Amino acid sequence: MNLEAFQAFAADNQWGVLWPELSMALLAVLLLVIDLFAAPLRKSVIPALALGGQAVILVILVLSFGCAAVGDYFSQMVNLTTLGQVFRVFFVLTSLLVCYVGWVYLQRQNLPRTEFFALTIMIAAGMMILGNASNFVMLFVALETVTIGFYVMVAYARHSPYSLEGGLKYLIMGALSTSLLLFGIVLLYGAAGNPSLPHYTGDGLSYANLNNFIVANPDNLLVLVGAALVLCAICFKIGAVPFQIWIPDVYQGAPTPVTAFLAVGSKAAGFVVLINLLRGPFAALEAFTFPLLAAICAVTILFGNLTALGQRNVKRVIGMSGIAHAGYLLLGVLALIKGVDWAVWAIVFYLFTYLFGSFAIFGVMAHLAGPDDENQELEHYQNLAKNQPFLAGVLAIGLGSLAGIPPLAGFIGKLLLFIAAFEARLYSLLGVAIIGVVISIYYYFGWIREAYFKTLEVPPDEASGETARPYPHPRSLSLAHRLLLGALAAFTVLLGIYQGAFGSSPF
Amino acid sequence: MTVGLNAFLLVSGLLFAIGFFGVLLRRNTLVIYMCLELMLNAVNLALVAFARYHDSLDGAIFVFFSITVAAAEVAVGLAIAVALYRKRQTILVQELAAMKD
Amino acid sequence: MDNTFINYLPLLAIVIPLAASIVLCWGKSLGETAVKAIALVGFILPAVIALVLAFQFGDAPRGDEGYAFLTDTDLGLQSSVGISLLLGLNGISMPLFVLAGVVGLAAGLHAIQSKAERLPLYLQLLLVMQGGLMGVFASVDIFFFYFFHEFALIATFIMIGIWGGQGRRSAAMELTIYLTLGAMLALLGLIYLYISTDSVSFSLIELRKVVASQPISELVQKNIFGLLLFGFGILVSLFPFHSWAPRGYAAMPTGAAMLHSGVLKKFGLYGLVQVAAPLLQAGALGWSELLVWLALGNILIIGFVTIAQRDLKQMIGYSSVMHMGYIFLGIATMTVVGAGGAVLLMVAHGFSVALMFMLATAIFNRTRTYDMTEMGGLGPHAPLLSGFFVAASLASVGLPGFANFWGELTVFVSLWHNYPWAVAPAVLGVVISAIYGMRAIARVFYGPETELFKKTAAAGNIRDITMGERIPASILIIALAVIGLWPQSVSRDINDAVEGIEAFSRPSMMNHAEPLADAEAPAANTEDTAS
Repeated sequence: MNLEAFQAFAADNQWGVLWPELSMALLAVLLLVIDLFAAPLRKSVIPALALGGQAVILVILVLSFGCAAVGDYFSQMVNLTTLGQVFRVFFVLTSLLVCYVGWVYLQRQNLPRTEFFALTIMIAAGMMILGNASNFVMLFVALETVTIGFYVMVAYARHSPYSLEGGLKYLIMGALSTSLLLFGIVLLYGAAGNPSLPHYTGDGLSYANLNNFIVANPDNLLVLVGAALVLCAICFKIGAVPFQIWIPDVYQGAPTPVTAFLAVGSKAAGFVVLINLLRGPFAALEAFTFPLLAAICAVTILFGNLTALGQRNVKRVIGMSGIAHAGYLLLGVLALIKGVDWAVWAIVFYLFTYLFGSFAIFGVMAHLAGPDDENQELEHYQNLAKNQPFLAGVLAIGLGSLAGIPPLAGFIGKLLLFIAAFEARLYSLLGVAIIGVVISIYYYFGWIREAYFKTLEVPPDEASGETARPYPHPRSLSLAHRLLLGALAAFTVLLGIYQGAFGSSPF
Repeated sequence: MTVGLNAFLLVSGLLFAIGFFGVLLRRNTLVIYMCLELMLNAVNLALVAFARYHDSLDGAIFVFFSITVAAAEVAVGLAIAVALYRKRQTILVQELAAMKD
Repeated sequence: MDNTFINYLPLLAIVIPLAASIVLCWGKSLGETAVKAIALVGFILPAVIALVLAFQFGDAPRGDEGYAFLTDTDLGLQSSVGISLLLGLNGISMPLFVLAGVVGLAAGLHAIQSKAERLPLYLQLLLVMQGGLMGVFASVDIFFFYFFHEFALIATFIMIGIWGGQGRRSAAMELTIYLTLGAMLALLGLIYLYISTDSVSFSLIELRKVVASQPISELVQKNIFGLLLFGFGILVSLFPFHSWAPRGYAAMPTGAAMLHSGVLKKFGLYGLVQVAAPLLQAGALGWSELLVWLALGNILIIGFVTIAQRDLKQMIGYSSVMHMGYIFLGIATMTVVGAGGAVLLMVAHGFSVALMFMLATAIFNRTRTYDMTEMGGLGPHAPLLSGFFVAASLASVGLPGFANFWGELTVFVSLWHNYPWAVAPAVLGVVISAIYGMRAIARVFYGPETELFKKTAAAGNIRDITMGERIPASILIIALAVIGLWPQSVSRDINDAVEGIEAFSRPSMMNHAEPLADAEAPAANTEDTAS
């Protein structure tokens, strides 16, 4: 290879294109450096810097939206798309909110702080690259940045056996899914490199080349097995049945902000990868992916909703209901496979509504969690509306949105998914989705019921002192907390009524 | 006698299967870690074999990433196992069931 | 009045209660008087707007499909899925819009006067419901028609939970799950409808035009109508899906019960008349026979169940389920007379059942029980209250002079033309409702005084109807009497609108030789084009 070849090779290494990811990573490093050299500033400066820095990145990202040239960079390692850019905003926003919830959480914990923020931001940077990856090497590295970061985050409360146990379980299951993903990639790469097949390619890791190959050989067994393994690994990320077994324990054991990150960020990351793959290399495998994902979708919706019914721990409720939400989102993915292109926008809209609704709930959870973060039972929400009407209101709005009740944003999300599914003629899956929504009312409204309904008076002599004692709710919230939680609730309501520019597909 | 691609793939597949079932069936966390490593190495073997027989370097390079990731995974995993052992005096997975519905 | 301004009045009628509700978030710092004043504004203005629009309606310039006061606002979804906030009123929605305004005012006045704890929150939730109700009937876009209906869901749930009566925990859950199931089926039906046409919009006007030029295939029509019928049917407590209603109403606080049973429940019926039948004529015809049977189930089976009730509030709840049967019958005939009668009956029932629920609470406040066997002898202590209650009962039975009479009569007339065999059981229903109505009056007001009542009376808190109860009760009873004595005020517009709908032009099934005597009923003056 001569010099010119290297020059040509490096010509599209435009680092400027990746400025959001790079600045997130730099922010994380900056936090660590400050922690190292200016230890006294830890408490005050670091959370402010983490939140403020991300807010600045978010603002610039939104203002400069659409300025970056869409296309291939880094020798087809990165394919910058509008979708990827939307997800950049999504992940920065997620990470910002996780840092906020984490800040609330860490104030009550005797845990190192800087690493929490640094890890969160680093993971978010990985997710942002994930949305734009167009090569399996890139995908793998970005995904592992995210996953290994999450292993640490889940086990972050190192004094708590629950957190450690959750971390261990997540690690084992996560590594298993990594292996499946890797094996799938290898099979695809191997199949695509076979010189005896038409359109074979030496670079089977790039989406574009792989796509050419699969279009020519859609029935190759190695390709099908490989695609199935890759899809399984992604289903693990989004928590679809039968790859959901890690969810309840990990969600319950992880610190509240990490649970939120897993529920929103990890799921969204899985979906953006799924969309990219199904629109890219796996587009020609429709006859194979559709029945596979349709079966997963139906089972996921029913399983998630039914298992959520019996839970008393709110984190497990959120986890199980998150499985169901993955199922609804798969409905959109299936519509996409069937050729309803705007279903992508429906999925993105749904994910944004899920983000606002979930963080409204997680914000309330973080404020209500006692010093021992693990014990968050539904009983602890009794009389919340009386003691903390503001938190109860935010909680009701968040839950209502997740349940999909108008005029909250979650309803519009479901509506768009349903319309897309109708256009794709997925009638029986829509029936399943309806059943799921109706079941979900029971646990979402059951939670609201705990917060709002007058509790039955327990006679003091019968209660042996323990159950009669009301759970202490925090007395007051500072203005900053009120503003942030209020903004989340307001967004949830506003997006349900007025969609404005978000009301039409940008893709 | 030359060894064909299929022979490599067979070995790789076997290793992967052994690792996979090991993860599902073994009880000791450390053994589970080893099985996970086994799976990743099975993948590495297949990658190198494909790269060699199909004359493309990408697979061989990919192996470096995969090895790095495996190392990071185990580093975190062992740290968690040590911390957990300090708390619970066990690393057998069936005894790690503090959380229930 | 300026025409452009008047077109924005429906929007204002929706926004004002919602805005008042938001202001009440700061209820604690506002003080009690301010809270009540703001809530009062939120309840009075929609009612005033509704009445103003009703008086202007006759002369208002009509747009497509007989709609007046049309305004279109794009909230973001217009270019993508064809949803925009298109508001307007036609002959069918106008009376129901007035119903929503007036019953809302009555419920609001009652709530403001009530001594409920955490009053700001109560009023807030009631105002959210009220805003949604005004929106339901003002929406021309079928998406928003659905959307506004659901405003009440969370609000009702919370209201039952905090201020509810017996069995509220399970009743609230049952109600919410049933209503969500119905709403979801209806939503699926509406989306299916939108997808099956080539329409680019959810607007009813647009859909009617598209369907008129390219009808949907009959099979698809039947599927969609089935979805809508069962979806709406669950929301209206159609016979086998009614169990949520009596329990739910018994558990609801008064204001919510008035709005829910009086107005919100009309959503499904209104949807059938305004959306389902006109767009899915063949589908509606296919299902009408079954609908008649189910409606008779409402009338007879629930009728007998109603007689067996001892609890006053449960009895009213069941009776409201029962009366839905007549409205369904009217729609099922698929004739101008029947559908017109059904709409009239919707309005009439809305007023009368709201009045009944309010009076039941008034009675409870005096006797401290809903059990009718424990009551008795209230009449001499509270003559005015008993007068109101007797009037309300007679109205809901369908006595001439009240609005319900004309509605039921026209339904029977239309039934005679198309399902003559169903007339006898339907009329038997009137007898049933007379039985339980009279029995309730006798037990509550005129029976011998029971032990419990004597005790309560001795405590000295038996007073006649108070001002706070009298004003809303009078509003409702005046409305009933006005329509009862002057039915053309409402029926003319209804008939104009219904006649414009092709689906209701079904010829009568029997070729009757002699014109029926009842057919000249004033409320039915313009129809009978069928024969």
